[in-house]
Amino acid sequence: MAKRSESDATPSVDRRKFLTGAAAGAAGAASALVGNTSEAQQGAPIARPAVARPTEADARKDFVPPEPRVGASFIEHPASDHMVDVLKALDFDFVAVNPGSAFEGLHESIINHGGNRKPEILTVLHEEAGAAIAHGYAKAAGKPMMTLMHGTVGLLHASMGLFHAWCDRVPVFGVVGTPRNPTSVINRPHSAQDMGSLVRDFMKMDDEPTRLDVFAGIAMRAYTIGRTPPMGPTLLVVDSELQEAAIPNGMSLPIPKLTQPAIPQGETGAVREAAKWLASAERPLIRPGKLARTPAGWDLLLELAELLQSPVDVGTYGSWQDFPSWHALYGSGGPDYKPDVILGLELNDMVPSLRQTRATSGKTISICAEYLSQGHNIHDYGNYTDIDLAIAADAEATLPSLIEEIRRQSPRDAARTRAARRAKVAEAHKAIREREMDDARYGWNSSPVSVPRMIAELGRQIQNDDWAIVSGHQFTGQWQRRLLNHDKHYRYNGDSGGFGIGYDTPASVGGALAHKAHGRLAVAIVGDGDFNFVGAGALWTAAHHKIPLLVIVHNNRAYHAEVMLVQRTAARRGRGNDKVDIGNVIRDPAPDYAKIAQGYGVYAEGPISDPNALAPALERALARVRAGEPALLDVVSQPR
Amino acid sequence: MNLPKLARAALAPSVALGLLVAVVPSPAQQNAGSTPVGNAERGRQLFSDTYNCYACHGFDAQTGERRLVPMNYPLEGFITFVQNSPLPQMPAMPDASAQTLADIWAYLKTIPVDAPPVNDLPLLRDVLTRRNQAAAAK
Repeated sequence: MAKRSESDATPSVDRRKFLTGAAAGAAGAASALVGNTSEAQQGAPIARPAVARPTEADARKDFVPPEPRVGASFIEHPASDHMVDVLKALDFDFVAVNPGSAFEGLHESIINHGGNRKPEILTVLHEEAGAAIAHGYAKAAGKPMMTLMHGTVGLLHASMGLFHAWCDRVPVFGVVGTPRNPTSVINRPHSAQDMGSLVRDFMKMDDEPTRLDVFAGIAMRAYTIGRTPPMGPTLLVVDSELQEAAIPNGMSLPIPKLTQPAIPQGETGAVREAAKWLASAERPLIRPGKLARTPAGWDLLLELAELLQSPVDVGTYGSWQDFPSWHALYGSGGPDYKPDVILGLELNDMVPSLRQTRATSGKTISICAEYLSQGHNIHDYGNYTDIDLAIAADAEATLPSLIEEIRRQSPRDAARTRAARRAKVAEAHKAIREREMDDARYGWNSSPVSVPRMIAELGRQIQNDDWAIVSGHQFTGQWQRRLLNHDKHYRYNGDSGGFGIGYDTPASVGGALAHKAHGRLAVAIVGDGDFNFVGAGALWTAAHHKIPLLVIVHNNRAYHAEVMLVQRTAARRGRGNDKVDIGNVIRDPAPDYAKIAQGYGVYAEGPISDPNALAPALERALARVRAGEPALLDVVSQPR
Repeated sequence: MNLPKLARAALAPSVALGLLVAVVPSPAQQNAGSTPVGNAERGRQLFSDTYNCYACHGFDAQTGERRLVPMNYPLEGFITFVQNSPLPQMPAMPDASAQTLADIWAYLKTIPVDAPPVNDLPLLRDVLTRRNQAAAAK
């Protein structure tokens, strides 16, 4: 990963000679600044002032030692160095940083004491982007990322990103600096009596170590609690004076071993009962929610589904991808399949399943870690349901024993009856597949571009790559799962969890960062509404840190879901529908997302309205991404 | 305001709506007995600008949910459905007159179907083939 931009890396020059040369070069430099962006993207050389590099003798002659700062003291062993040693023990690869004075001690220690490695600083232009990048990274990498925030202002900016991580049950390791004893008019607003309270409603824990010797233990605790299901973000509040203080002579600061608790499995008797029902079910149905914490979860669900020959219904907004989307058992079994046992796996709302089984006198089972722990304010934990068997445990950790029990309790003729079930389910799913393909062809040549056309064009061009979709599916319906074969656990990184917009673009940068280590091609399809939050700045982070990622802006120039909602209300009130676009559309003027991306140093094309122009544009953009850089296509699309 | 009990009850939103529906003839009832003739050009404006139907059904009425092209509903059925839709995702529009809906219906009838057969679209044909192969794999 590039540590410095090209401009950062330009050698130092003699300031006086530079000023002389700069006058001569100013005309050329100015024309480069106002030049056509498309020319700039074609690789036109950037005009630089003609300046000779200074010699060593010049440098010595010009060097003026700085005046000593009155009262300044030299700190040989700052406390923040120890803090960075602890962060290294937690094995962080990256930390998202938008700089702030409340954590300048930590910032300096990360880059100098820590060598800007593990963690390496990822410069972000907004703290919400930093939290979302950490969120997307954690899901794709399978390990948390750290985000470092300024007191109050930085934390509040980050709060929306942290909220999404909470709703999505994803660990993000937050650290916020605080000037505990503020001294100026500037840093008083950045200090708080109880900093953690600003986000406590959606953090698994927050704590403020008041002494250096307890920092390591509290950091380890925050890390392990965040990773224990149900997972979630955690927060350390770190006083800026504590960061900058010297480690007292002779103070012993051992770093404890990181001990991640074993994940809770379902109680043996309850698992045995669940297995009994499933083994003898005539029409089982599996509904996974946020199941596959790890690739093992994906493999286990596949094993369970094929053992039972049960359809697997990931639902409309299955937040994490849990099951291969082109598998014969992917789906609800078809319109005539009336399940007699429904198994929810980390599905925190069992109401629809309960309603379905009540109609057929069937049974409902839920294995979910959310019975173990829930938040106290946000209503994101689903309704209470009087299901038949609830098991408070992590579903992924419980699946091995459930599978073993089902094998043990399966009747002798199970293989034959289950094969017959699979054949029926596969036949029903085949009919659904054909209907979906039939739907996809409507509006094929329409301008703006139809969503299925956009995704099918993408699919053709990435089918030989090891690709990963790092944005959510929320605004493209089911078309991504229908038209792209999600056949590996990392193909889809999930939605925001909190259904707020602004997550997709920055979280995609985080997902792409994690996939970069595996050489995977990361692609995001984001709404124009989403991009307009903190997306453009997140693209700069991708450009600066050379994170390969194709961003397709699904640009329908409106918040179309809300158009329909206002229509519904206006119709109920008999007030007509002619004004429902007010407050809901993004046009007059229509933003030019390609130009915005180009302004952040990213290769971009658009707006693209002609469906026949999409394939060559994709080809050009993907070539850039395969070469290691981000790219953006602004595709003007149909509303749905 | 000192209203009789019955009047106050009638002003409760849910009750009031029921009474209005029962007492005031709907646009459909007002047009009962005559089948209006639609104006497609006016219908285009109503579809795109006045009623913003495109937001759910697509600019060409064939990419959204639900697809409206080809328009297979008979005119009378279309009018009745739109004025009384029971579907949560489709607002009932009791104030849309039969003439208005006839205009929209006429416009929908003029939109050419843009749906080449799957076999003529290599992209979709290939996806369907590969999906079928993936589903057949053990």
